[in-house]
Order: sequence, then structure tokens, then C-alpha cells
Amino acid sequence: MDSAEIFNRIQDIFRNVFDDQKLIIERSTNSESIEDWDSLNHINLIVAMEKEFSTRFSLEDIQGLKDVGEMADLINKRINK
Amino acid sequence: MNSYKYKEIKIGLSQSFDAVITQKMMDDFLSMSADTNPLHTDREYAKEHGYPSQVVYGMLTASFYSTLVGVYLPGKFALLTAIDVSFNKPVFVEDKIKVFGEVSYMNDAFRQIEIKAYIENQDNVKVSKAKIKVGLYE
Repeated sequence: MDSAEIFNRIQDIFRNVFDDQKLIIERSTNSESIEDWDSLNHINLIVAMEKEFSTRFSLEDIQGLKDVGEMADLINKRINK
Repeated sequence: MNSYKYKEIKIGLSQSFDAVITQKMMDDFLSMSADTNPLHTDREYAKEHGYPSQVVYGMLTASFYSTLVGVYLPGKFALLTAIDVSFNKPVFVEDKIKVFGEVSYMNDAFRQIEIKAYIENQDNVKVSKAKIKVGLYE
């Protein structure tokens, strides 16, 4: 799966979690960029990504992530290793 | 009350319990919610609209999902964070219901579990289904 497809799937996850089909995310999008990105929706995002990409994240994996770009890179590494 | 800790839970762990819907529950729910819709409060009105008697509030039925999570699965250490519920068939006063839940997903990083749950009546008809997200603080 290439980076563009991964990012498209991540965008769909964001749209579903935040219930906004027009939401556009970028690599620099972070929790400051989306008003409803609270701790509960953060869990929802991570769980949705685990399911979408059939992988698991530890707390260490996700603690240091600064934005969507770093999340996409992490997923890319996981599924294309 | 059960008190499953996160590390004691496995996917597939299930719990169930039985309950009977009483008129007092309906009266109490009316008092609490102020939902005066006649489908729930007026037997004759309900009959005129094709039901054998007044229909139990869906949210009263759904309140047993709270019991499922807070008392049975996982019990004491639960934090109910989300629930997606459907009401598939009507419930009536004096119905005997069975509430069933099974752990379908676990997230170790956040100690969160997901439970697939349903409620069926005395005729084994599923009257409600739910997907429930629960955090555990132990």
C-alpha cells in the first residue's frame, strides 16, 4: 500500500470519527486543528486506525506523535515493513 | 458486582443477566425524563396504533446496557465512554428480557474494550442491539 492510499484511508477515518464528510486533513493536522479532537476522539482515532490497517499500537508508539503526518509514517512503516 | 480488571479480560469474555420490565419502571422513567409521549403512557392510544399495549421507552430498555457494563462486564472498574444502540422490536410491560454482552475488541494502549451486546425478550426475539465502548481504570 503506497503512502497516498494510506493517507486517503486515514482521511476517511477522520471523517467518520468526527462525523464530517467534508473534513480535509493534511500532514500538519494535529489536535489543535480540529475542535472536537479531544481525548475520547483520540482513542477513537487510534482504535479505528488499528482496525483499518490490521495493526496494533502500544502507548509508546503513539505518545510521541505530533501530527497526522507522523501517524501516517508510523502506519507506513508498520504495514510495509 | 463483577470487578474484572483489564488484564483479566479476553476477547470473547461474555456475561448476561435477566430482568423484568415493570409498570413501576415505566412510571419512574416518566417521572425522571418527562417524556409524556402517549405511545408510552396511554394504553388505548398504543392499541389504536397497532400495539397490544403501551410501548416501553427505548431508553429504559437501553438503560440495562448501563447495568451490563457497570455491574457485569467488566463491572466495578468500568467507564462507559460510548454506545451505539438500535431498537429493533418493541418491548412491553411485563416482558422478561435477557441482556447479553461479549468483548469483541481490546485496545491495550488505552485499556479500552468494545462490547457487542443485545437484549432479547422471552420469545428469544432480539429487541435491541448495541456496540459499547468501555474504558477501565484498573
